[in-house]
Amino acid sequence: MAPLLVVGLALCLSGTWAVDKGNFKTCEQSAFCKRQRALKPGESPYRALLETMELTNTRLTLQLINDNNKVRLLLELYRLQGNITRVKINELKPLKPRYEVPDVLIRDLSVLSQDENGVVLSLGVESQRVIISARPFRLDIMEGSDVLMSLNSRGLLAFEHLRMRKDTKRRPLQLISKNEEKVEDGMWEETFKSHTDSKPNGPSAVSLDFSLPGVEHVYGIPEHADTLRLKTTDNGDPYRLYNLDVFQYELYNPMALYGSVPVMVAHSPQRTTGIFWLNAAETWVDISSNTAGKTVFGKMLDYVQGSSETPQTDVRWISESGIIDVFIMLGPTPKDVFSQYASLTGTQSFPPLASLGYHQCRWNYNDQEDVKSVDAGFDEHDIPYDFIWLDIEHTDGKRYFTWDPHKFATPKEMLQGLMDKKRKMVAIVDPHIKVDSNYKIHNEIRSLGFYVKNKDGGDYEGWCWPGSASYPDFTRADMRAWWASMFAYDQYEGTMENLHTWNDMNEPSVFNGPEVTMHKDAMHGSWEHRDIHNLYGLYVQMATAEGLIQRSGGVERPFVLTRAFFAGSQRIGAVWTGDNAAEWDHLKISIPMCLSMGLVGISFCGADIGGFFKSPSTELLVRWYQAGAYQPFYRAHAHLDTPRREPWLFGPENTALIREAVRQRYTFLPYWYQLFYRRDLLVHPVVEEGARGVTAYLPGKDEVWFDVHTFQKHNGAQNLYIPVTMSSIPVFQRGGSIIPRKLRVRRSSTCMEHDPYTLYVALNLQRTADGELYIDDGHTFNYEKKEFIYRKLTFANKVLSSVNLAPDAKFTTDSWIERIIVLGASKPSKVTLKTADGQEKQLEFDFNASMSVLTVRKPGMNAGADWTVTFQ
Amino acid sequence: MRVYIIVAAVFWCGYVDSRKVRGISSSYKRFYRERKSFLCIDGSRMIPFEQVNDDYCDCEDGSDEPGTSACPHGRFYCTNLGFRPHYIPSSRVNDGICDCCDASDEYNSHTRCQNTCWNLGQRERAYVEGQMRTLDEGLRLKQQLIEEGVLLWREKQAQLRELQQVAEDLQVKLEEHRRKKHEADRLKEQTLKALEAGNSGLIRHQNSSVTSIFHLLDTNKDGSLTVDEIKAKVVLVHDEQRVLSEGEALALLDRGHRMDLSKFQSTLWDVLTRGDTVKIKDTQGAPGSLSSEDPHLKAADKAAEWEATNLKKVEEAYETVNMEISDLQKKLAIDYGTDWEFLFLNGQCYKLKVYEYTYTLCPFNQVTQKSTAGVEVSLG
Repeated sequence: MAPLLVVGLALCLSGTWAVDKGNFKTCEQSAFCKRQRALKPGESPYRALLETMELTNTRLTLQLINDNNKVRLLLELYRLQGNITRVKINELKPLKPRYEVPDVLIRDLSVLSQDENGVVLSLGVESQRVIISARPFRLDIMEGSDVLMSLNSRGLLAFEHLRMRKDTKRRPLQLISKNEEKVEDGMWEETFKSHTDSKPNGPSAVSLDFSLPGVEHVYGIPEHADTLRLKTTDNGDPYRLYNLDVFQYELYNPMALYGSVPVMVAHSPQRTTGIFWLNAAETWVDISSNTAGKTVFGKMLDYVQGSSETPQTDVRWISESGIIDVFIMLGPTPKDVFSQYASLTGTQSFPPLASLGYHQCRWNYNDQEDVKSVDAGFDEHDIPYDFIWLDIEHTDGKRYFTWDPHKFATPKEMLQGLMDKKRKMVAIVDPHIKVDSNYKIHNEIRSLGFYVKNKDGGDYEGWCWPGSASYPDFTRADMRAWWASMFAYDQYEGTMENLHTWNDMNEPSVFNGPEVTMHKDAMHGSWEHRDIHNLYGLYVQMATAEGLIQRSGGVERPFVLTRAFFAGSQRIGAVWTGDNAAEWDHLKISIPMCLSMGLVGISFCGADIGGFFKSPSTELLVRWYQAGAYQPFYRAHAHLDTPRREPWLFGPENTALIREAVRQRYTFLPYWYQLFYRRDLLVHPVVEEGARGVTAYLPGKDEVWFDVHTFQKHNGAQNLYIPVTMSSIPVFQRGGSIIPRKLRVRRSSTCMEHDPYTLYVALNLQRTADGELYIDDGHTFNYEKKEFIYRKLTFANKVLSSVNLAPDAKFTTDSWIERIIVLGASKPSKVTLKTADGQEKQLEFDFNASMSVLTVRKPGMNAGADWTVTFQ
Repeated sequence: MRVYIIVAAVFWCGYVDSRKVRGISSSYKRFYRERKSFLCIDGSRMIPFEQVNDDYCDCEDGSDEPGTSACPHGRFYCTNLGFRPHYIPSSRVNDGICDCCDASDEYNSHTRCQNTCWNLGQRERAYVEGQMRTLDEGLRLKQQLIEEGVLLWREKQAQLRELQQVAEDLQVKLEEHRRKKHEADRLKEQTLKALEAGNSGLIRHQNSSVTSIFHLLDTNKDGSLTVDEIKAKVVLVHDEQRVLSEGEALALLDRGHRMDLSKFQSTLWDVLTRGDTVKIKDTQGAPGSLSSEDPHLKAADKAAEWEATNLKKVEEAYETVNMEISDLQKKLAIDYGTDWEFLFLNGQCYKLKVYEYTYTLCPFNQVTQKSTAGVEVSLG
């Protein structure tokens, strides 16, 4: 699932420059977090009322009561297909409805489980059971005699029920009855810096703890600028999930960033499980571990002495509003957890092939002339690229959907110029709309009543790039449909089919709002912004992508990049790690940041090559191009105030290094295109200044790995030291895999469409290998109509064959097989090609005995055909 | 599959003749003479000649595939008959984008390219001709400016020489005037000194004074003073405006109607010298300040003043001429190009309006920026 395996990541705790932390809340400054965190593990006041249990063929329901305040909760337990258990807890009779997150799950899951005739309590899998303890309430999910996960085992279930606002003036303190919780600061109003949150609904937080016996390592819950493996939070703030525009973010800490995916993956050698906490409000996650702080030696001692407790990780989720809706994904393997999660929120959208190429961005390319000269620069220096980007300055005064009348007077001419070179463009469209009665978009949104409202019912206004701006209510389906219609070619003037879109600032960013975002008491229909905050960005990207699909009559796959995201964003498009900086640590952190997203489904991730703020040293820039060549989304970007840094501005030597990195990317494009399923490349980019070598861990005791540049073979399960020069990008192909590549690197990916393939067959110790070859038109949804080629490539018993995996699909290609390179081969006496019509042909080949590399010359068969090549 | 083979076969027929020369410049043709085998140009490998331009890269240096996109670092030669030939990277062969104007790079692609070389050549030639015309026109203008410049230069040089001559003459004049002034000053000094010395030899001085006063009073120069002469020249000290009466004049003449010099010296002279009752009408000072009245001194003073005025005039003229000379020299010291082709710019000013600013450029002089608000800034 995760496209890259990167091991041996050096952790380096440093913060050379920093965000203004005072602009963002700590848990202590967030009233509900402070309140909930004050609750310590102990006996839970909640009790299950077993007599209320109801069991149907789809679910189990049960009431819980809080013995302190007698408020009743309703627990629903579902067993979903694919080893997933859903636990939902809401108030039995809430004063008013509490928010349940829509549009994230890909289908109505209860319908799914209606087919299941099993008894909920047996959890489908024979040996799995859920044990419900009544007093105090807790849930244990067991497999055999092992506890996989426990809920409320530490008694941290807390559910702040909705209550009437009391006029505190008329109510003497001594009259508060025992059953009522005492009113604490921040329950009915909260002030941070100069911003007051009016909290008309009062306290509404929910919290629950999960214990994970046997687990030492937990991952996920992006987005944080932190290590892949999550740290314990006992001595600091919890990890925070609250989409925020953080200016110059700091590394290695749990502060919230632009996006949130409330999914955690727990991994041990025996089992992998996952927790998906479906809540879009501000959320904090505490992690503690009984092995935290123990040294490796201490752990070994425990093991040798056979003593001690089993390792255990405890996590606790706290959200400000909504309900508890948890999907417990029971694995057992990592792959199972990933497909379980994908069954809930979907898989990565299939991107247009070109979007996997290289993207050239900058805030800003000044005018059409500038675009033209940068485009020409790539040709002059023979560096391929697919997209050139325009940031906010291309608009007419930050009015999105418009063009600056002087700098971009004839956008279609510009786009046609790019199209003539088979290249494309991305222009930014942000969700803040300039309040300007001469601006069509603003007028329409206002007259349609589509803006988010402030607490007093007027259109919410904040400050952003255009000055005073309002924010469309993207949670409304009718607003999203209207937004999508604005991308039609006759609405968004000056656009053509090779113009795609970038959604920035969609946390949403409000320069003068609390924590640079929207006031929590702003209203989206009947829901508060508090309830939906983390969803806003997903909706913006969703509506935009829908617009791009619609303008093409449903034919073309959209490409939309977003900064804010939520669970499910992977279904829509690409994500990048926001405004990073030109520093070595930022290059390093881009790897765990994107891997964390990959673990929770968002694979199409990248970081700004070179770093957004500040100016990179030439060495850093080159290393970043090299690392980025092997990350899914490959875009260079730079701040307005930084010197220009197009790849050819650093002398011929560095131009050549960057050219080579980008060219490598393009040779692997056929693999990237089918990559979201494979794991055959191991990349260890150089991310240290002045590095002379790197040490990469090559996994797998019985595996072999081949250096893709030298074809040198290495055994698995070892730390390999690799000397490096400025041109080195250590990349290894797993023995046992077949990777199709296109070695004729051209101006853009589209120019390479009809090019022939070279198959890299890397043999494992059993002298076998397999791989796939997927081909379609690269940009439409026609693959859904079975217009593609999908073939299995297998090497076994000295025969390499191509077999059709989708016989009912049809697609024709001009591409052919120009070369087969077998790594770890022995010398054959002859190589014979047999095509589907039974014809046989001897093939020329070249054998390099010292490297055991066999190169078959020009077999020439069509890439979509059946064939076998026999090595005798 | 069959379709594919047919396409390939058809393609082959049209291909076999041209493939050997495709993508090669004439200077490279010698490497591609039809033989049994082909040696990669870098000498690294020998391959059968059929493998030249067979769309598979055999040579490290890409030399076996000059006409296809097979080699990663190869290059393709666009002959571009009618226009300029040039190389393109092999990766641009059959990539669907027309790079060579003769369309030779897209011989097997989905894109139909037109041969635009003739048009391009035409346009280029027209362009070059236009450029030539512009250049000729420019050169002609330049020559004109040079001629003008040279003339102007000569004129200025002559002007300079003239001025220098004037300056020299003035210099001489100046010297002369200085000398004259010096002399006049000296004379004046002497006269003054002599006057002062005269106070000690009173008699001679008095004598001459008595005589001169007598002559002064003796208007008809008959050697004797009359009542009318006295009335005309002598007034009361306390009533200068009133003409003396007959009786008063007669009294001053010591009751006689005529008075000769010796009588004057012994009578009226004393009265005049005392100066408390009457005085001579014409003289300004009292007879006591006789030195300023000295005619020699007066003459010397007048002469000195004259000479000073003359000197000042000449000095001023000299200064003016010298300033003109240095101005001219400064102007002539500026680099106006090897042939003084930029000389005409001197003294010209050009204005440019950019948004709210008006820029004025006076070559070899100054540049200013003036805003519509009226603020003027010198830019050097």
